[in-house]
Amino acid sequence: MKMLIVGNGIAGNEVAFSLRRARKDFEITILSAEHVPEYDPCSLPYFIGRDVPRDAVFRRRLEDYSTHGIELVLGQRVTAIDPEARRVSTEQGLTYGFDRLVLAHGGSLFIPPIDGIDTQGVHSCKQLAAADRLDQYQGSAAVVIGSGAIGIEAGEALKKRGYEVTIIELLDWVLPALFDPETSRRLAERMNDCGMRVLTAEKVLRIEGGERVSAVITDKRRIPCDTVVIATGVVPGKALAQTAGIEVERGIRVNEHLQTSVGGIYACGDCIETVDACTGEDAMFQLKHNALEQARVVARNLLGEPAAYPGAYAFARAHFFDTHAVTFGKTTRATQCELGQLEIIERDEGEDYLRVIVKEGLVVGGQAIGRFADFIGLFIGAMWRKDNIPGIRENWPLIVRAGSAYPWTFRKLGELIGLKA
Amino acid sequence: MKTKTTPLILVDPEKCTACGLCQMACSMVHHGILSPDRARIRVLRFEGGRGNVPLVCQACQDAPCIKTCPMNARRRLDNQAVVTDDERCIGCRACAYICPFGAPVVNPDSGKTMTCDLCAEEDAQPWCVKACRDYGALTSVGSGETVARKSRERAAQTRNAYKPKKA
Repeated sequence: MKMLIVGNGIAGNEVAFSLRRARKDFEITILSAEHVPEYDPCSLPYFIGRDVPRDAVFRRRLEDYSTHGIELVLGQRVTAIDPEARRVSTEQGLTYGFDRLVLAHGGSLFIPPIDGIDTQGVHSCKQLAAADRLDQYQGSAAVVIGSGAIGIEAGEALKKRGYEVTIIELLDWVLPALFDPETSRRLAERMNDCGMRVLTAEKVLRIEGGERVSAVITDKRRIPCDTVVIATGVVPGKALAQTAGIEVERGIRVNEHLQTSVGGIYACGDCIETVDACTGEDAMFQLKHNALEQARVVARNLLGEPAAYPGAYAFARAHFFDTHAVTFGKTTRATQCELGQLEIIERDEGEDYLRVIVKEGLVVGGQAIGRFADFIGLFIGAMWRKDNIPGIRENWPLIVRAGSAYPWTFRKLGELIGLKA
Repeated sequence: MKTKTTPLILVDPEKCTACGLCQMACSMVHHGILSPDRARIRVLRFEGGRGNVPLVCQACQDAPCIKTCPMNARRRLDNQAVVTDDERCIGCRACAYICPFGAPVVNPDSGKTMTCDLCAEEDAQPWCVKACRDYGALTSVGSGETVARKSRERAAQTRNAYKPKKA
């Protein structure tokens, strides 16, 4: 069986190596648009910040592919899929046939149509080649456009490299997809305290500079700088599937077996649209744990097991300097437009903050800064198990005096939401 | 050097007296000092009822910490333990946050996380198990299946001990 995988990222590699562990006879080929073995995009900011050496970003070495009999083809960007003829063709004009195809080509950085975006000194941090350019660049004052996870991490990295850093966010609060304004406000304060200037509700109009970036102009001010980092979000790679007649919406559409609308063609990772594991709604949480779990489901299906993917979930840490924060599930904003009784549990104690979003008595999301983040995993567990929060309150005396240590997670959850013994 | 047959640690909270000897033993074997803050095992102490819970990494088969580490610093040893690679860890605590038990401990000296390695470097039982021999709250059991079976028995006891009124 010829297994062809488009994309040499987290998802693509997990499919390839999972298949190889189970079957020695499959022909497994990975087509990579980039020129390096598998690396982790999550590691890039820490290489730029010089927290780790460059080779720490790699998850695999070239030898791993040859040792496991996986053909890794570098520098071949797939540009067309012919589902009938069961083959793909690349930018370089090569064609590869398949029995089963896995689309795992991920997403790409959204490049906003800003004047001057092509000026020398404008960088990004989503792929290794771009991170290398940023690493080698000599600058001193950076403007990061976008305050998502990548933007914040790139900002921290450049601050560590001695840059002056300004982060500009179009929306009203930082990390807008992951945190509520109440939490973000506290994070933004800390960013400012760390010397990362944060500007929210501000729009970049153009980038100035002749031979090199010299300033960023927003709708409120002119910011002199010599470096710009674009961190305006990742969009799933749809075009390849779309032109082949594979169904796409916000991402490539897949069923519960992660098969696309075309038989024998699967998809996983940042390029797909999937469902929320808790609520079943359409969702896109382009995060590493989801890519890995999806890839494993694809591999199981390719091996003949009709495994169903339970869905994706949001989980992300936000860490910069001494600030440690975490978010999981849905934000208040995402839940507000829905029907159902909403309760926000909030605890604010100096440097520590907790925010738990409870809908109809069930945990649907949470955010924390500082010590409340330490046991956030218990709230995630409560979400999965559909623990009844009002029930914990009502039965608190029973939990405290249960005469047994076993209900300790309920005891700890109760303490975290402020119940006293 | 231990292999896949290295026993896992089974926790029996009912027997824990919160004496803290496990923490002393752990910090001693790994860092050469008696320092509960530098132990990979912790004891959650609950006032007002019976309940001390030794909390230690359970070396989950599908460990969520391995999936979420941005530096791929969480890795599995031959003895099944899941540990943090100090050279890769950048101290973000994602592993601690995704952990269903909050098991990873932040080393106060390095800011990096650490979890039980089942005393991989030692030729004997895990030191915490030895330290707890008077009470038996920590024991070495043969395999993952044994731990899973005993956990299921305990879960049933939890269910019996805590029968909530419908809210």
